[in-house]
Amino acid sequence: MSSNDTFDALSRAMARRASRRTAIKGGAALASAGVISGAALSSSSGVAAQDGANITFWFDTTGGAETAQCLIDNIVNPFNAQGGTQVEATMQPNGWTATQTALAGGAGPDIVVTPGPTYVMELAKAGQLLNLDEAAAAHGWDQTVLPWALDLGRVDGSIYSIPHEVESLVLWYNATLFDEHGWEVPNTMDELITLSQAVQDAGLIPFAHGNQEWRPANEWFVGEWLNQLAGPDLVYAALTGEAQWTDPAFVDAISKLNDMQQNGWFYGGLDRYYTGASADTASSLAYGDSAMKIEGTWFFSDAMMFFEESGQEWGWAPFPSTDGTDIFDLGIGSTYSINARTAAPEASAEFLNYWFSPEAQGIAVSVCGMGPAPVSIPEELLEGIDARQAAMINAVADASAAGNYGYTTWTFFPPKTITFLIENIERVWAGDLSVEDFLAEMQSVFDPELAAGDVPPLPARS
Amino acid sequence: MSANPATERTPKRIGRRRGVSLLLNHSVLLLLVAFALGPMVILVFNSLKTQAELGRNPLGFPESFVWQNFPDAWEIGRFSATMGNSGLLVLMTVSGVLLLGGMAAYSLAKLDLPGSGLVMLYLLVGASVPLQLFLVPLFFLWNRLGLTNSLPGLALIYIATNAPFAIFLLRSYMVQLPRDFEDAARVDGAGEFRIFTGIVAPLAWPGFLTVGLVVSLAVWNEFLLATVFLTDQKLFTVVTSYYNFTAQFSRNWALTSAGALMMIFPIIATFLLLQRRFIEGLTQGGLKG
Amino acid sequence: MSAANPRLDLTVTHPKVRFWQTLFFRRKIVPWLFVLPILLINVSVVLGPAISSVYYSMTEWSGVGEARFIGLDNFRRLLLEDRSFRVAFRNNLLWLGIFLTLPMAMALTAASLLAPIKRGALFYRLTLFLPYVLPSVITASIWRNLMHPDRGVGAQLSEWGISGFDRAFLGDPKTVLPAIAFVDNWHWWGFLMVLFLASMQNISQDLYEAARLDGANRWQEFRDVTIPGIRPTLVFMVLMTAIWSFLTFDYVWILTQGGPAGSSEVLASLVVKNAIQRFEAGYASAIGLTMSVFVGIIISIFVLLRRRGWEI
Repeated sequence: MSSNDTFDALSRAMARRASRRTAIKGGAALASAGVISGAALSSSSGVAAQDGANITFWFDTTGGAETAQCLIDNIVNPFNAQGGTQVEATMQPNGWTATQTALAGGAGPDIVVTPGPTYVMELAKAGQLLNLDEAAAAHGWDQTVLPWALDLGRVDGSIYSIPHEVESLVLWYNATLFDEHGWEVPNTMDELITLSQAVQDAGLIPFAHGNQEWRPANEWFVGEWLNQLAGPDLVYAALTGEAQWTDPAFVDAISKLNDMQQNGWFYGGLDRYYTGASADTASSLAYGDSAMKIEGTWFFSDAMMFFEESGQEWGWAPFPSTDGTDIFDLGIGSTYSINARTAAPEASAEFLNYWFSPEAQGIAVSVCGMGPAPVSIPEELLEGIDARQAAMINAVADASAAGNYGYTTWTFFPPKTITFLIENIERVWAGDLSVEDFLAEMQSVFDPELAAGDVPPLPARS
Repeated sequence: MSANPATERTPKRIGRRRGVSLLLNHSVLLLLVAFALGPMVILVFNSLKTQAELGRNPLGFPESFVWQNFPDAWEIGRFSATMGNSGLLVLMTVSGVLLLGGMAAYSLAKLDLPGSGLVMLYLLVGASVPLQLFLVPLFFLWNRLGLTNSLPGLALIYIATNAPFAIFLLRSYMVQLPRDFEDAARVDGAGEFRIFTGIVAPLAWPGFLTVGLVVSLAVWNEFLLATVFLTDQKLFTVVTSYYNFTAQFSRNWALTSAGALMMIFPIIATFLLLQRRFIEGLTQGGLKG
Repeated sequence: MSAANPRLDLTVTHPKVRFWQTLFFRRKIVPWLFVLPILLINVSVVLGPAISSVYYSMTEWSGVGEARFIGLDNFRRLLLEDRSFRVAFRNNLLWLGIFLTLPMAMALTAASLLAPIKRGALFYRLTLFLPYVLPSVITASIWRNLMHPDRGVGAQLSEWGISGFDRAFLGDPKTVLPAIAFVDNWHWWGFLMVLFLASMQNISQDLYEAARLDGANRWQEFRDVTIPGIRPTLVFMVLMTAIWSFLTFDYVWILTQGGPAGSSEVLASLVVKNAIQRFEAGYASAIGLTMSVFVGIIISIFVLLRRRGWEI
């Protein structure tokens, strides 16, 4: 009853799309601090950094303090060890709320981390972030950071942030269970629907989904069904205002999603979906009570942990589309910017340059189990990681390079539309709202946001 | 509860009724105790299980006692560093609330404060403002005053947000007190502050203890203000480190349970200590009959 | 505090008395000196910063940038167009109804049963209060597990043949709000009991003996002695319950974030969603102010009652 003691879910909500407890893989050999500091020294040599400048950096830990600690130990500390600029990294359990309040109140850390491009746009418009155009030119970020990702950090044509942690949604499945029943991994939506029915007929749960701890998980499914069934081209058109969300293809996609939910395929019914915690669903998949799971690439470390416990095997596949084409919806986990009030802009840029170097990102991926930043990491820096993870990283990287990717809601949709679809898809599932009305209302929420320029920059489709 | 008064008039009947009804009292209370304690007992059980056992046996007695969960949780949560900060915050806030809030309550209850209705109205309205409404402007002000990243700066905020409830509760205790003692002291020429500290406060002792306890809990468990106003790791509070810890082990409910118990242990110990004095205060207060 | 009232100014009759010894000072100034320090702190922390939100409630404001003045448009939208606002308001009223009855009844019953007990009083007091000590995240986690349809108490009960409780109470739009209130109340009512009990300890035993001599039964004792004796505390807690019912946030946010399908939305969760997730801090301020107005109405009712001679 007392009103103001705890706000955990709030902070979770702002920080990450999912909790990603990460198993540290100690084996990777490149963790030697020597490699890293050498690389950093060479990369910073061209820029006159303030001597011994101190910069602050808040790590959000709501998704896993272990990962944050790993990054501090293996990336930040070696940077500090080389002398010069010193980075004071603080583990902040309420990162985004603290950052937002501090910025609005005239303070905040030098390195500003946000949950995504829409947040950057708001901060940049408010003059809270430093224009990074010069730093990008000085450090050659247009060479290292993938073009679509660099564009995503633009506001009114200037760079204000660099995306971190590229992620995508894929189909995870229990390979042991599939073998036992002789099920084939589905390529198309029709195959997926047939398979789901077969799973249900076998007395099992098709999908291990629950949104109790992370209500926005709803948007994964809405976004995935829109992209995979109606196609990323149409989503792109709708996001740029050339098509409407009320398009019959979208109606069909959301209707299919609704049918699957109504069939009880998402964890055995709506009430269970709403009360399913991530540990419940992960172990349901790992122990073969459920057959599949649609979740982000960040699920990798959980998959490793839970399947090791159950002794079964997991596999992943691109999410089935209408015609069987592999479509990866791209998204990012967080963004990095520099506070407009920083006393040490060059030192902050120098640290960002280091943070997004292939060497540092190689460590983030191979030692700390993070999703990689949108930079090309040479293969030798990723030695020793799980083959399935490597395949996933490569597939996502190829898709992003080829430009035929789809659009995750949390990265490419404007904020009010996101909140709308997360909240109101539940009304569709509850039968309070028809699919047509849902999409029509979504269009009416989206229109003013499009007009106000709140849709994040969309890289042109190739 | 609806006995006929006409049949229960003789003292003998009353006596017998008391004996029987105390038994009834105990049985109802024990049921309520089971309701209150049951979930907490499960929390204790779970803090002693392995994660694997927890999945198989979520409600029952632990098969083997994993005491290691406690030192592990202590290490991971860095409780040794954060408990001191939280303790300091509690100390500063509680002494501020009890002194300043107590003075205000005294004025409202005993001094016929001119405009007391307005003051009370203000306090109630102040208590009804959602925190989210003034968080950003307050941060802006505190940042200007150099009060962010400072335990006393945060304690001031806690004093303000806890004041309305504390003042009203203390006032309601003080209103109940007989006026004889203070009037006698006033006749003897004692100043109001002396009457407050020397007579009224000791008499309203249970009220002060209750308020102290409630405010301690509120400060000890507070999360939003603590994470926004303290960003230096050296100043982090016990809840902050507990959150770092739950995020990390959100799947390990056994360790989290151990961390939870560790976090509430100082509060329970204080409460036990206060309870003794609470009873003593009641009997020494000379208010019985 | 203007010039001294001549009727109260005793300096006329005692020429050597200093100002701070005057009756005026003692009667009018001293009481204010006692309330001023805490008032000053409260004004600078709460009122001052909150006033700026009155302005923001009339703007379109993302929360970080410049605000654009739009008059009362936010309030028009809120009251006329926002469906979730109506749902949330109704839920807050339901919440108020639950918390004015269930915990009050439990706390009054337990406190009056506990008051006459001497041996074991400490045990009851400690154990019944204990849930209040837990932070809301921990309480919520415990009950989330206990209410789980497969491994919670309901599942255990149905193994023993008592069916009907192995349901996902938190996942069903019909049961979700009472289920959250149940969890909140588990942690809350013991605190209420301790407050009532402390107040009951202040009631003179003479009054009970007098009532007994008059032949009062326990219900009459409770009604005629206990309730009037603790009335200031009781009325105060009714008032605080009303205020807090409109501010309630923690348990809703941790357990459901307002779902499923908005069925457990409350005003405070709407404020947070708008301010943090939708970048509509101006609109959020309007909701927050509206909450304060509702509470203001409740407070006014109490003030009126107080004018009519209720001792609150």
